[in-house]
Amino acid sequence: MSTETDIPSRISPPTDTLSRACFRFAAMPCIAFLVACNGTSSYLDATGRAGRSEGKLGIWLTSIASAVVLLVCIAIIIGITRQRTARDREVSVERTRIASGLNWIYFGTGATIVILIAVFIATMVTLTAAAHPPAIPSLTMDVTGHQWWWEVTYSDASNPELGFTTANEVHLPVGIPVRVRLHSTDVIHSFWLPQIAGKMDVIPGQTNETWLEAERAGTSRGMCAEYCGLQHASMALAVKAESPAEFNKWAQQRRSDAPAPVTREAFVGQTVFFRSCGACHAVTGTPALGRVGPELTHFASRPTIGAGALENTPQNLARWIHNAPAMKEGVRMPAMPLDSAEMRAVVAYLETLR
Amino acid sequence: MSAVLAEAAPVDRLNEIWETPRGWRGSISSVDHKTIGKRYLVTSIAFLVIGGLEALMMRSQLAVSGERMLSAGAYNELFSMHGVTMIFLYAAPVLSGFSNYIWPLMLGARDMAYPRLNALSYWTYLVAGIFLYTSLPLGAMPNAGWFDYVPYASREYNPGLNIDFYALTMILLAVSTTVGSINFITTLFKTRAPGMSLNRMPIIVWGTLTASVANVFALPALSAAAAMLFLDRRIGTHFYDPAAGGHPLLWQHLFWMFGHPWVYVIVLPAMGIVSDALPTFCRRPLVGYTFVALATVMTAMIGFGVWLHHMFATGIAPLALAFFGAASIFITIPSAIAVFAWLGTLWDGKPWYPAPMKFMLGFIALFVIGGVSGVMTAAVPFDWQLTDTYFVVAHLHYVLVGINVFPVIAGVYYWFPKMTGRMMDERLGTWNFWTLFIGANLVFFPMHIVGLLGMPRRIYSYPAGLGWDAYNLIETIGAFVFAAGVALFAFNVWISRRRGRIAGPNPWDAGTLEWSVSSPPPPYNFAVIPTVGSRHPLWEDRLGEGSARSVLAKGPLLADGRETFATTPLDAEPSAVLQMPEDTYVPLALAVSIGIIGYGLLFGLWWLAAIGGIAAAACAIAWLWPARVEKDDRQIETEFGELPVGSSGRHSVGWWGMACVVATEAAFFGYLLFSYFYLGSLSTNPWPDDVPRIGLPILNTLILIASSVAVWFAGRGIRRNRNNHLVAWLGTAIVLGVVFISLQLVEYGREKFSMTHDAYGSLFYTITGFHGAHVLVGLVMLVVVFVRATLGHFRPGRDEAVRNVSLYWHFVDAVWLVVFTSLYITPHLR
Repeated sequence: MSTETDIPSRISPPTDTLSRACFRFAAMPCIAFLVACNGTSSYLDATGRAGRSEGKLGIWLTSIASAVVLLVCIAIIIGITRQRTARDREVSVERTRIASGLNWIYFGTGATIVILIAVFIATMVTLTAAAHPPAIPSLTMDVTGHQWWWEVTYSDASNPELGFTTANEVHLPVGIPVRVRLHSTDVIHSFWLPQIAGKMDVIPGQTNETWLEAERAGTSRGMCAEYCGLQHASMALAVKAESPAEFNKWAQQRRSDAPAPVTREAFVGQTVFFRSCGACHAVTGTPALGRVGPELTHFASRPTIGAGALENTPQNLARWIHNAPAMKEGVRMPAMPLDSAEMRAVVAYLETLR
Repeated sequence: MSAVLAEAAPVDRLNEIWETPRGWRGSISSVDHKTIGKRYLVTSIAFLVIGGLEALMMRSQLAVSGERMLSAGAYNELFSMHGVTMIFLYAAPVLSGFSNYIWPLMLGARDMAYPRLNALSYWTYLVAGIFLYTSLPLGAMPNAGWFDYVPYASREYNPGLNIDFYALTMILLAVSTTVGSINFITTLFKTRAPGMSLNRMPIIVWGTLTASVANVFALPALSAAAAMLFLDRRIGTHFYDPAAGGHPLLWQHLFWMFGHPWVYVIVLPAMGIVSDALPTFCRRPLVGYTFVALATVMTAMIGFGVWLHHMFATGIAPLALAFFGAASIFITIPSAIAVFAWLGTLWDGKPWYPAPMKFMLGFIALFVIGGVSGVMTAAVPFDWQLTDTYFVVAHLHYVLVGINVFPVIAGVYYWFPKMTGRMMDERLGTWNFWTLFIGANLVFFPMHIVGLLGMPRRIYSYPAGLGWDAYNLIETIGAFVFAAGVALFAFNVWISRRRGRIAGPNPWDAGTLEWSVSSPPPPYNFAVIPTVGSRHPLWEDRLGEGSARSVLAKGPLLADGRETFATTPLDAEPSAVLQMPEDTYVPLALAVSIGIIGYGLLFGLWWLAAIGGIAAAACAIAWLWPARVEKDDRQIETEFGELPVGSSGRHSVGWWGMACVVATEAAFFGYLLFSYFYLGSLSTNPWPDDVPRIGLPILNTLILIASSVAVWFAGRGIRRNRNNHLVAWLGTAIVLGVVFISLQLVEYGREKFSMTHDAYGSLFYTITGFHGAHVLVGLVMLVVVFVRATLGHFRPGRDEAVRNVSLYWHFVDAVWLVVFTSLYITPHLR
């Protein structure tokens, strides 16, 4: 795992110039409005490095766009209200010089070109900043999209010992760029953590690479952004950015084997689990080695069930195990024919997987 | 024959010649562009209503978070059908409707260049629409979105008939649209009234022309992609299968190479509507006509270079992103020219505001919103956030509702008096405008915001607590307001049709040619062929621009059967008197046959497809066989000099049509070869161990070249009035063509790889197979011309069919040279 010294030197943010300040002022209502809406997946107020530069470009573009729309609307309204004639078709067609009015085209198009050149330059500057991480990351996440959940495997070039797999959750160490390799086992998905960075498609037959770097701690929601079938709407990820120390702690814990059950009920539940669930789900350190569904070694400490379909509570878990397709139509996990004692036991076991 | 006064024209005789008989027989056999245009309008607006109902169902589901009124599957089918219906069955056909109706009237012709193709285009469109919607009772509506990305659309992940419906519908619609486009192009270049030079054409004509040219080159990408998808699903080829050398991004490239030019196809004619109608209400000509016309053409040209902006997040190298981002940003410039031309016209004119004008002003506002949000999505890094969110949904709806629906409704209000002879109700029109304008902004504007708040598109439901709820509720309310507006519009059309004020020929005091004839126009359009002297024939006296004057009251009569002028492409000087076809059932029969092929392929009933194919071939022969053969070189003396009767000459009407066919087919092979090299470039080992051997193909190439030489000699024979040379050389070419196909089959038998082995095999057999099919079609045409030659149908200057078949045959040979180089030589160069 990276230590503090691995953190790449941060490029200091450029100081505010007057134009920036003016611009901020112009964009303020826009930002205030959107921040007030406070979506956990709004990206204009992003907490990741790439996301922040993209969001800044976005606010700038939104402001320019709003100004252009406003000006044109004013031009239309004045054009209407300044009319010099009665509302009547009897108005004769004017004898006009053919060139009159052309100034609209010359000046309007000229102004448009100037704005577009500015947009182009800003785009290229941001593209350069957002396309590549500031330093070559040693920490790597291999993210695999499945219909309809995410498999996430961490590895670290500087520490081959580190390596573990989890599902539907991503933790990011603040200030440390992470390389992301994207794989798909079925159809095209798109990996999107709006707060951290823009999206990158997950395409079978092609490994796309992107990078993430959180700049502030916090939780947010990631999701699949490319329509991928029946449950595209229910393919979310829980994203948590935390200090490198906390991240290391989390990674340490995720890397460890599942704790052995201590209560009798959990022990019974483990037996049921091996019999009924182990073919599809893996719990490291046990004979459950299935790779069809999400791995469950530390399932109980994940915030959701079924890639964001349900909140992870014991009640929801029981409902999910009882009849997952009823909770999330089309999911590959079948309804499990467990009696109520078995159900209680298996839930008790899964709740120990912290 | 000298010029005739319009009042003195024998109107009864013209009516008799041009009128379609009443009753169902007349209605299914009519080739009148006005009838077909109105059908297009009514049918496409019916599809608008259907697509709108689908949208209302979706909006109802999304009104509140967590709603499950619709299942995920139903929702996914609804959004797919909504997109396909609106984009393919409404947005383009509705513009074809306007153009069909008003082109000949604006251009001073009596019909389109190919009235029967026009009917075929409409019937095929209707068949395609019905075909698509048979998926509803079968419970297998397309469910992979309107752009239908593989591999979700492949058989492995989508095993039902859903996507087969999609793929075949796309091919049927491509047939319809291509045929229609070829008709528009030929009409434009060959049948404008004398004096209607290119710089005098209304802007909608420029828009539709540009769109048609774009169609000719862009649609083959969709056809090729859909054909490959169907083959992947039903035959087991591997174009899109990464496990066997294919790639899912191939679909995306092909789809958007089609898709982005298509966006301009469905907006440029609509922008043309505004450019033509707005000046009428501003009481002055359009500001910057030349700029706007050139901007129209420029938009489409740049439009071919921006397809990658739909794929910014697919992992493409930053340099390519920068290039396509730049093109996508700067494509705004021509649109800005149009917007400022409209604003200039508004400011410099003396505007008045009846209903059509209200819609046009609303349109400008929506257009600008859709335009600037387009620039935002063109900014690559920000697009990584925006793409696939509701922001994009907002953008594309501002574009399509703003730039298509609003001008269309303005156009209906504007031309309704011309089409029906009655005015639409003005008070209802005002209500209509405000409900639609407020509804559109209520439903689509908040989508920008939820998009910026991170709501992805194509989700059937969403959880609470993400800040999306309120906006979605507003959107749903807006959707119903908008729907009320559409209902009001339909009601206004219905009531005005019966009770509207009588309009007279020119109720708006407009300046263009269509307003010079009665409302509704007579079946023959113009009693005498007008001569055009300026851009605004009806405003000339008042504008006093130069001395040119149009002559509308006096002109050639052309009343020996259905006749109109063929004119030269640039200056519109008459070059021949065309004899237009009578009403016929053949286009309908051909469209139905094509539909039968579609159903045969869909259900895997090969016998049904074969029946359809045979019926289609019979229809085609009935179509192509000449109704009459000119026995003498009849010339008519007109005020434009002595003109031959019937299509003839070097670049005849038929030649233009064939040239367009060749262009679109060349593009089709271009897209196939793109696929070949694209997949090859992605593979480390693109060729099999046993690459095709080169000996036999070289022989075959020589044979095909020899056949081209033979066809050339055949043409020379008839030009020198030696019919026996024509017959002999045509016979030679036919024999050589048959030998080519036979040797190709022999070669297939020797290849060690199969079509279903990997993507290479799929491409090899598909490309050579499509080429073989073209040789076959060429052979059929050669045989028809051969038979006609033995019957003595051709004479020097009366050899249009020979010229056209030669053009096609040379094209097929030229394609072979490219195919041969790519498929047989390239693998040996490694």
